[in-house]
Amino acid sequence: MNCSEARKEIPFYCYGECSGETEERIEAHLAECLECRIELERHRAFLDALDSRVEATDGSLLASCRADLRTHIQSENTRRRGWLERLFEASRWHIPLRIPVGAMALVALGWFGARYTPQRFGGLEANLAEPMFSSVRSVESNGSGTVQIAVDDIRRRVLSGSLDDPHIQALLLNAAREESNPGVRVESIDILQNNADSEPVRNALLDALRHDPNAGVRLKALEGLKPYAGDEPVRRTLADVLLKDDNPGVRVQAIDLLTAHHDDSIVGVLQDVVQKEDNSYVRTRCRNLLEQMNASVGTY
Amino acid sequence: MHDAAETVSATLAAPLDEAGLIRAAQRGDEDAFERLVRSYDQSVLRVAMNLLRSPEEARDVYQEAFLKVYRNLKSFRFDCAFHTWLYRIVTNICLDHLRRRKVRREESTVVETDDGSVDRMAQVEENAPHSDPERRMWNRELSAGIGRALDMLTPRERTVFELRHYEGLRLRAIGEIIGTSEEAAKNCLFRATQKMRASLEAFV
Repeated sequence: MNCSEARKEIPFYCYGECSGETEERIEAHLAECLECRIELERHRAFLDALDSRVEATDGSLLASCRADLRTHIQSENTRRRGWLERLFEASRWHIPLRIPVGAMALVALGWFGARYTPQRFGGLEANLAEPMFSSVRSVESNGSGTVQIAVDDIRRRVLSGSLDDPHIQALLLNAAREESNPGVRVESIDILQNNADSEPVRNALLDALRHDPNAGVRLKALEGLKPYAGDEPVRRTLADVLLKDDNPGVRVQAIDLLTAHHDDSIVGVLQDVVQKEDNSYVRTRCRNLLEQMNASVGTY
Repeated sequence: MHDAAETVSATLAAPLDEAGLIRAAQRGDEDAFERLVRSYDQSVLRVAMNLLRSPEEARDVYQEAFLKVYRNLKSFRFDCAFHTWLYRIVTNICLDHLRRRKVRREESTVVETDDGSVDRMAQVEENAPHSDPERRMWNRELSAGIGRALDMLTPRERTVFELRHYEGLRLRAIGEIIGTSEEAAKNCLFRATQKMRASLEAFV
């Protein structure tokens, strides 16, 4: 292989896109050619620089995209259902089934009842400022023109209290773990991290860091764990995140926290990352750290 | 990191495997569809955002792509991997946006200010809970440089470059996604890399 061929292959060599045979030929050429070795280093520096680009992902954007998609799909389904219902309605006129029609009317009442807020149900809720969601449990006609409707109400309550209040803390912990809206999870974690000296809170942060599907929530949990980066359970989780998290931003943060405390036991993890990591910025960070720790970059 | 990504996807899809989820979604199981979306939507949004550098357009791509998947999932016959099919949809929509942008001669996300070039998308970084001010400044300048360099690529070169460099996809998969051969994708990547290097020479 000559210099011109080697230089054409270097970009693919860096991406691991060359065949085994080509790789061997490049390496043989590099072993003998200083200029091409310099070119390889320059190309690696270029790739590293590219990885400094800001990851343009945003947890709140993802959350709102998900909500919009859900709305779009619901309205699409409603449109489809509306079409089917009209078809059914048209065919129904030919079938003289008055009793089922009456039953359907009651079902429809239940259906609408479940979807309208109770401001429509007279003066009962007129004084309530907070929103309330109702669903109709049963409907009964007494035959004399009046109808009895059993309604289950769910009312939104606003609670306020100190973060030290066990009730408030329990609600926040639950919201951080269970709430489907990632924005609420981020907010909950953000508030909880002020109380991260409590074990349940720290466990919730670790849990979010390991399992939350949203990178924004995981980053927030990392932020809360910063003061505890020297603790053994936290370090174990950080090492796991560094090896398994699919978001390079989260992995970089995990490296920052792991290396904030001098600890030779992370050498193995860093070596593992250097071997397996696809992102060249993360890889280079780990390689540099290993060099700073006077540890070998590879595992033997 | 593919192993890690696969593990995360598998965890999200548990206890059903991906094929099971797709089949359930094909039968109209809304919950299965949502889990399928959540296995991939972070990557979809990231690709759209990085290719288009516009949250508004990335949001449109996200909606359009997953609505297409929703409407056409029944016709998915497992002839290729689901992620290849999904990425094909996403990159086609992004390419349309990029081509329209070229026609409209839309302004770049990189703008000139009194303090020099700034990539408007780099503002996202300000919210990130990390890094010292010097590093942030350097990243901002570099991001602006990268934004300018990416703007100089053709839509196709930009897509191949994004998928290979930032998403870590293999050239063979990229060829499948953009409907070309591995060799053609390789040539495209070579041209893109040359242009990017020339453009970013001052930073390296």
